[in-house]
Amino acid sequence: MTDQQTSKQLDLYDIQGNICKGYGRYGFPKARYCFLNFKHSYSAKDFLSKLIGKLTTAETWPESDQNGHHKIKPNSTLNLAFTYAGLVALNLPERSLKGFPVDFTMGMKARSELLGDTGVSAPDKWDPIWQDNKEGQEGGVHAWISINARDQDTIEYEYNALEDLITQYSDGVRLLPGIKGPSGTNLRYQDASAVFENGKPTAKEHFGFTDGIGNPYFDGCGNAISRLPGRGKLMRDGSWQPLATGEFILGHIDEAQEYPPAPEPKLLSRNGTFMVFRKLHENVDLFSNYIDNLAKDFAGSRDLLMAKMSGRWPDNGAPLTLAASDEEKACLDARMIDLEQRINKGDESALAERKAIRSKWSDFSYHDDKSGGKCPLGAHIRRTNTRGSLETEANAFDRPGALVDRRRLMRRGLPYGGINEATSDSGEQGIIFMSIGASIERQFEFVQQQWVNYSNDFKLGNDKDPLIGSHNGQLVDKHIIQTNAVANSETATPPFFCTQLPRFVETRGGDYFFIPSITALRMITEGNIDPS
Amino acid sequence: MANTSGRAYALTTLCPIINGQVSRINSLSKPRSESHDKEIRRILQTLPLNENSIFANADNTYFARLFILNDVFFQQGNDYKRDQLKSKYLCFNSNFHGKLEPYLTTLWNNNEDQVREIWQHCVAFDQVRNDNDFITYIRSCQIDTTLFFDGSNDEPLAEQLKALYVKQMFSEFVLTQQGNSSADIKQAFKYFLQRVQLNNITSPSWKPGQTEVAI
Repeated sequence: MTDQQTSKQLDLYDIQGNICKGYGRYGFPKARYCFLNFKHSYSAKDFLSKLIGKLTTAETWPESDQNGHHKIKPNSTLNLAFTYAGLVALNLPERSLKGFPVDFTMGMKARSELLGDTGVSAPDKWDPIWQDNKEGQEGGVHAWISINARDQDTIEYEYNALEDLITQYSDGVRLLPGIKGPSGTNLRYQDASAVFENGKPTAKEHFGFTDGIGNPYFDGCGNAISRLPGRGKLMRDGSWQPLATGEFILGHIDEAQEYPPAPEPKLLSRNGTFMVFRKLHENVDLFSNYIDNLAKDFAGSRDLLMAKMSGRWPDNGAPLTLAASDEEKACLDARMIDLEQRINKGDESALAERKAIRSKWSDFSYHDDKSGGKCPLGAHIRRTNTRGSLETEANAFDRPGALVDRRRLMRRGLPYGGINEATSDSGEQGIIFMSIGASIERQFEFVQQQWVNYSNDFKLGNDKDPLIGSHNGQLVDKHIIQTNAVANSETATPPFFCTQLPRFVETRGGDYFFIPSITALRMITEGNIDPS
Repeated sequence: MANTSGRAYALTTLCPIINGQVSRINSLSKPRSESHDKEIRRILQTLPLNENSIFANADNTYFARLFILNDVFFQQGNDYKRDQLKSKYLCFNSNFHGKLEPYLTTLWNNNEDQVREIWQHCVAFDQVRNDNDFITYIRSCQIDTTLFFDGSNDEPLAEQLKALYVKQMFSEFVLTQQGNSSADIKQAFKYFLQRVQLNNITSPSWKPGQTEVAI
C-alpha cells in the first residue's frame, strides 16, 4: 500500500463528506445544525434539488493549489440527512420504506429506555423541537442540515443563503424552532463550536478533556494510511488493517463479509449510511465539584484522577497506556518539550521521534494492562473502544478485536455553548454527538446499552461509564480505579473508588438519520425510486 | 447421565399434555372451550413472580423453569425424515439443593392448589391424590440430563443467599470506608459484623425470589 491510499476505491464524489471527514480536524471548527419539516413533498423535492449541487462530498482535498489544482478546500461545508418521517413525507415508495431497519424507523425517542435516556435525560426533558417529534406528527423533524465553516461569519453567511432558499419554498419547507440556545433563547438552529483557547480552536470539550481521538479507519475512506495504526482493526501479529467499508457505508461488504441490511433499490442505500444525532448537556459545575472533592482523597493529581475516569490525560489526550502516573506523565511532557526544542533547531530525527510517540496516542492496546492498573477497566475509552481487551483467553477469536470491530463508532461531533454565557450546570453547554455507522442498533445502541450503561463484558457488574453513564448519585454508582501493585507486597495499595457518581451528562434530544448518497438524493428529488 | 452434582440436583421432566379441548359447557360467560395446552399456557403466563413464585415457596430452589414444548423443529432441507411429537409437553426443569423426594414433597405441600391447577391438563395427573402420588408422577415423567444451573454451587439456598447478601453488604462497606484510618475501619468493621450477623443464616439476608431491595 502507498502512504496515501488503501486498496479500495470508493466513489467519494457520491458519498457525503461528513461520512469520511471529521470537519473539525480539517480546519472547520464552527458548525450550525438546523432541522427541517416538509409540508408538501413536491415543494420539498424542488428545494432539495436546488441543494444537491451545494452539498459537500467526500472528495479528497489537496493541501494547496500551488500546482494549479482547482480542487481546493472550500470555505464551508454543507450536508443533509433525513429522519424516517422525512422519507415518508418525501413519498418514498412503501416497499423502500419497509426495507429500513427497525431502529431507524422507530427513531431515538422510542428507543430512550434502552439508551438509558431516563429520569433527567428522558424525552419529556428534551428541547421542545424533540419533544413532539415522532412519525406522523405534523411538525416533526424531517431533515437535518449541517453547515461547517472556518469562522462564525461564514456560518452566518451560509445560513442566510440557506434561509433565503427555504423562503422560496416556504409553502412546503420550514425551519423548525424549539432548540434551546444560550440564556433561555429558543432558536431555529443549534450552533456548535470547538472550544477556543488563546484564540485558537482546541480539541477540548467543556469538562476539559481532549476529545475526538481515535476515530475508526475504514477501507477506502480517503485518509492517509499513516492514520491507520490504532484506528483500524487489530490483527493477530499486532499490525492494523482498515475496517471493512460496510461497517460505515451501506452497499459495501462489512466485517461479517456481508452487505449490511439496507432498503431497496440498492441505488437508494449504496454509499449512504445512518447517523445518530444527540445533544448531550454537560453539567460542568457538578463535574468540576465532584472531581475537586474526590481529588482530596486521591493519591495523585486532579489531572490523573480525570485521566483515570476517561483513559486519557485531559491536557493533551495522551492515553494512560503511555503514561499511567503523574511521574510518567511528567517524563512524557519533558520528552515532548525536548523534542519540540530540537525540532525548532532543525533536528530531523527529533521530528521522526515525535511522530512515533504521537502515533501512540491512537496506536495502543491493553494487552499488557489486563488488570487495569494503567487504564482502569471501566474507563470511558476502554469501554467505548475495547480494542483487543475482550479476548480474555489467548487466541479465543480470529483477531484480538473481533468483538469490537463490529461495534465501532465514527464520531462527528463538536462542543456547543459556553461562548455567549459562562458555563454552569444550568447553562447551555455540552457536546453535539454524532455517530455514523451502517447499523445504529449493532454499533451505537449496543455500545450505549452494553458498554456505557452496563459492565458484564468487563466483569464489573452494574458499573457504568464514569463520564457519560446514566448514574443517579447512589453509593454503588461507582467507578473503580485499579492499581498495579501486587497484593500482599510491600508496595500494595488498595484500589480507589469513585462513588456516588451523579449524572454528569444529560440527553437533551436528537434522532436517528439516514445520510443518502448524491445519487439517492437525486432519485428522491426526481421521484424515480423504483424498488421493484 | 447424572442428575446430581454434589448436593445439587438437576431435575428435568416432560409431562405430556392432554390432546384436545377442556370439556366445558359453553355459555355466555365462558363462550369457548380452549385446548389443554392453551389453558396451561394461560396459567403459566399469569403465575405469581419473584417472592410469590411457587418456587420461592419451595425450599432450596436454585433455578426453575416451566414451559410448553409444542413440537420439535428442524432447519434442514427436505431430504430428512422428520419426527413429530404425539402431544405437547409441559417441561419442568428445576435445580435445587438436596434429594428429589423431599423437594417435591415441599413443592406439593406448600403449593398444592397451584401445582394441581398447572398439572391438571397433563395426561394421567387426575390420578395424583397426594404428595407421594406427585413424586411417583414426576418420576415417571423424568428424563436423565445434566442440565445444571451455572449460577450456583451445591450449598443450601439459604447459605448461598446469605453469602450473596454479605458480599453485597461488604462491597458497600468498603465503598464507605475509603480514606478512613485503620482504627476507624476496624471499629466500623465490628459494627458491620454485628449488623450482617454472619452466623444467622436467615436474617438479615435476601429472601428466595427477592429481586429488589426493600426501601
